[in-house]
Amino acid sequence: MKQFTIITCCLLLVLGLNAQITKGSLLIKNGTVLTVTKGTLEGSDVLIENGKITKIGKGLTAPAGTKTIDATGKYIMPGIIDAHSHIALDAINEGTNPVTAEVAVGDVIDPMDISVYRALAGGTTASHAMHGSANAIGGQCQTIKHRYGTLNPNDYPMEGAPRTIKFALGENPTRVHGIGRGIMPRTRMGVEFVIRKSFTEARNYDAAWKKYNAEKATKPTALPPKYDRRLEALADVLNGNILIHCHSYRADEILMLLNVCKDFGVKKVCFQHVNEGFKVAPELAAFGASASVFADWWAYKFEVYYSTAYNAAILTKNGVVTSINSDSGDYIRHLYHEAAKTQYYGGLTDDEALALITINPAKQLGVENRIGSLEVGKEGDVAIFEGHPLSVYGIPVFAIVDGIVRFDRANDPDDMRLDVDPIKATTNFQMATGRHDHDRCMQGVQELMEELFQLKN
Amino acid sequence: MKGLSLTLTALLSVWCLSTGLAQSSEEALKPITRTYALKNVTIVTKPGQTILNGTVVVKDGLILNAGQNVSIPADAKIIPADSMFVYAGFIDALSNAGIPKPEVRPATGGTGGGGQRPTGVNPGTPPNDLAGIQPELRARDLIKPADKSIEDLRKLGFTNAQVSPIGKMLPGSSALISLGGTAADNMILKDNFAMISQLVGAQGVYPNTIMAVMSKFRELYKQAEQAKAHEKMYAANPAGMVRPEVDRSLQAFYPVLDKQRPICFVAPDLKSVYRVLAMQQELNFPLILGGLLQAWTLADQLKAKNIPIILSLDLPKMEKKEPAKKDSTAAKDPEMERLEKRRADEMKLYETQAAVFAGKGINFGFSTLNAKTADIREALRRMVKAGLKEDQALAALTTTPAAMFGVAQSLGTVEKGKIANLVVSKKSYFDEKSQIRYVFVDGNLYEFEAEAPAAKPGTAGAGKGAAPSDLSKFIGKWSYSIDAGDQVYKGVISLIDEGGKLGGSWTGSDGQSKPLSNPSLKGSELTFSSSVNMGQDIPLDFNITFDGAKFSGKVKAGDFGVFPVEGSKEPRD
Repeated sequence: MKQFTIITCCLLLVLGLNAQITKGSLLIKNGTVLTVTKGTLEGSDVLIENGKITKIGKGLTAPAGTKTIDATGKYIMPGIIDAHSHIALDAINEGTNPVTAEVAVGDVIDPMDISVYRALAGGTTASHAMHGSANAIGGQCQTIKHRYGTLNPNDYPMEGAPRTIKFALGENPTRVHGIGRGIMPRTRMGVEFVIRKSFTEARNYDAAWKKYNAEKATKPTALPPKYDRRLEALADVLNGNILIHCHSYRADEILMLLNVCKDFGVKKVCFQHVNEGFKVAPELAAFGASASVFADWWAYKFEVYYSTAYNAAILTKNGVVTSINSDSGDYIRHLYHEAAKTQYYGGLTDDEALALITINPAKQLGVENRIGSLEVGKEGDVAIFEGHPLSVYGIPVFAIVDGIVRFDRANDPDDMRLDVDPIKATTNFQMATGRHDHDRCMQGVQELMEELFQLKN
Repeated sequence: MKGLSLTLTALLSVWCLSTGLAQSSEEALKPITRTYALKNVTIVTKPGQTILNGTVVVKDGLILNAGQNVSIPADAKIIPADSMFVYAGFIDALSNAGIPKPEVRPATGGTGGGGQRPTGVNPGTPPNDLAGIQPELRARDLIKPADKSIEDLRKLGFTNAQVSPIGKMLPGSSALISLGGTAADNMILKDNFAMISQLVGAQGVYPNTIMAVMSKFRELYKQAEQAKAHEKMYAANPAGMVRPEVDRSLQAFYPVLDKQRPICFVAPDLKSVYRVLAMQQELNFPLILGGLLQAWTLADQLKAKNIPIILSLDLPKMEKKEPAKKDSTAAKDPEMERLEKRRADEMKLYETQAAVFAGKGINFGFSTLNAKTADIREALRRMVKAGLKEDQALAALTTTPAAMFGVAQSLGTVEKGKIANLVVSKKSYFDEKSQIRYVFVDGNLYEFEAEAPAAKPGTAGAGKGAAPSDLSKFIGKWSYSIDAGDQVYKGVISLIDEGGKLGGSWTGSDGQSKPLSNPSLKGSELTFSSSVNMGQDIPLDFNITFDGAKFSGKVKAGDFGVFPVEGSKEPRD
């Protein structure tokens, strides 16, 4: 039977319904290689073969026919990774319930989202496509590689990347569920209660399955617990199979979640936004929690006023694995600028600043052995810049994913859309205004609230 | 006593008879004969097979004979069909014909306008009907034989349809029906043919997004497996075992789990197809893909998986570009031209999908789901123009769906012994000028007047002599919504009869009620102007077309662009 399943799986693979990730070979010659983890190498080459970095050094040669990029005078860095984004998704928030651990944005990937190409044009080659923050426990997120050009959504997930899930504290879940509907959670206490209650239910559910599996062979009347995808997912969180990425701002609620994690034996948690992270940096470091922050963005709602542009530097200096994220289809195009701000506010070194958008987000997503730095054996995800990426004159000119050039500033056609609406007449294009006064985490919630309360009619 | 009872019976039967007569006199008169002979007709017996100058004899609901030198029974009504074509009646492979739209029960009462308070439904745990989880519903129980949609399809040549209940993710099970008849039960050819499903979320309640729909689908599927296993174990030996929880929605999955019934998944766009295939691969249910519009890139994979395919006839239509202002001195914008060309190329891909599938030897049926009646034949012609051979189109309308529904022995071709479901057109059906003159459903004749090639009502030339159009269907309050890209503007248009002309007012997003200036109604197309104050006065030019209780069209907002507008009639207070 097992053999049959394997054969079936192979057949399905051949039929192309599963992802068939195309990988490429590429020789990048004579650039300044910013490895991030192993220093900076002048006048060096990077050889990618079949999607993996096989050599870094001077005077490398490649088999005949290998595509070559002359990077003379240019900077070669690991592809930028965004630990918090909502691009390439057809749905963000299942805002109908305070706990929706069972839904997964991996089901609703939109490979035709032009935002992915724009991200590539900013050197960003991978991102963490997240559920929104309407719920205390939102849905499962998906680490994706920006393989723009495919129409197959199954090509996007980074194969083998750990599963992750969105949690959210504070104003968003209390606004949606408490104020919006008069249900729990209305307060920060309520958010904690919702999480603890869910974890407890999941623990009981897991125990019930274990009991059933143990006795089913001998007890003919044994019945399995009713299958519950929400509790399945939460049990996987408790068992360490799904990493928590928690939307949070205030120090008190950050400490609260650390306590909840301790009580339930959850070891890994990454705090997102975490504007007051600088207040509890030692506590975060002691727990081993990581932080993914904005460089200098705040005051878009009450809980986000107590903030500082030194946040990333303070967290870094306290030994917290820290990244800078976009949460936006706009900022994802210039995360290198965002990282550079930490050199002005906090004096981070080049490698420290670059780590915020490369190896550190890779660690937070559990893929640091595969991407996030230029090292032999890692995957061929590379960004090439004209000018240093931390300089205001830095311009991304190539973005490479798995050894395949996905963005080529000089040679790409003007119109890179994959999805063209055949119905609507073309009008003057308006680039999304890049309005950044509200976190994209709440995308879709306004519409849902209007639908629910018929505000529009 | 016995005599009395006999008398009573006699009286009763006379009374029944008279009531029966009274009833039938309100309906169409019964035909004098159910035997017909189409004479001198071109018989397209099946795709690619034609008999010239043939005769088709219909008797008692069946095709008695079809061919040349066929003898005509004495009681036959002879229909001279010179220069006409007869085809097997078309089968709409996925449709909502005859199914009334379910009444929408609001999830919560609004706190605004209606003055209702929320009814207390928790959006996270709504009852199944609000969640759109009603796989236990059956089309058979919902069909309204007199629904106009059945007649509309029949006028286009469709004699059968797989009809699906209307709803969200799991609206119920479909039935293959005859598009003619007075009793739903008697219209059914195949009951419970497929379980219908679609990636459509519930309004305002769980599952609202596609990701929640997909999660819920998987959960229900696995729960149904559990429930079925539990029932089986309990039936074998109930002693000491907890009694199974009975859930009709889960029970509706059982035939699917047994692979006795396919799930017909409606998946118009490419991403939906990928998503459905992913779930099918996980759960391994028998699948029919329905209503495909955008799946040409997956043709090879679908062929390899041998999944039955139903393509959509709801082809998108290109919006016309607003003509440039006459006083515009600007040169042509080459970028805009490139983008418009790209759009036209994209439209070609949609039109060519059927030809691509047919070219790869993939059999498919057609679905009229969501298509406007008036656009269906046009859609077929566009596909034929884009390379679909007429035979292939005919196969998609007849033989392929007949095989898909397992009724190839009784439907799909014009052959002796088959059910007399026929469509007779003047000129070939796919000819632009062809007209449908006769449709037979179960041997019952529906006759259609030859259309005069006259001007369409309302167009110029209809002139003074034209009867004043009936304004009553337009009068009343219409809610509208303008989709301005990043924002949607809503309000109300109130139409009144101003001495035989349509007039009235509308409420803009600034809350001001303004009269409609220069309202002009041509047929069902209304144009009027107005303005809205959004910091500055913006002139607005509306151009909307009514379709029953709905309208759609465009509004030009000064220099800001042209935006789609749609609306629907508000129920009277």
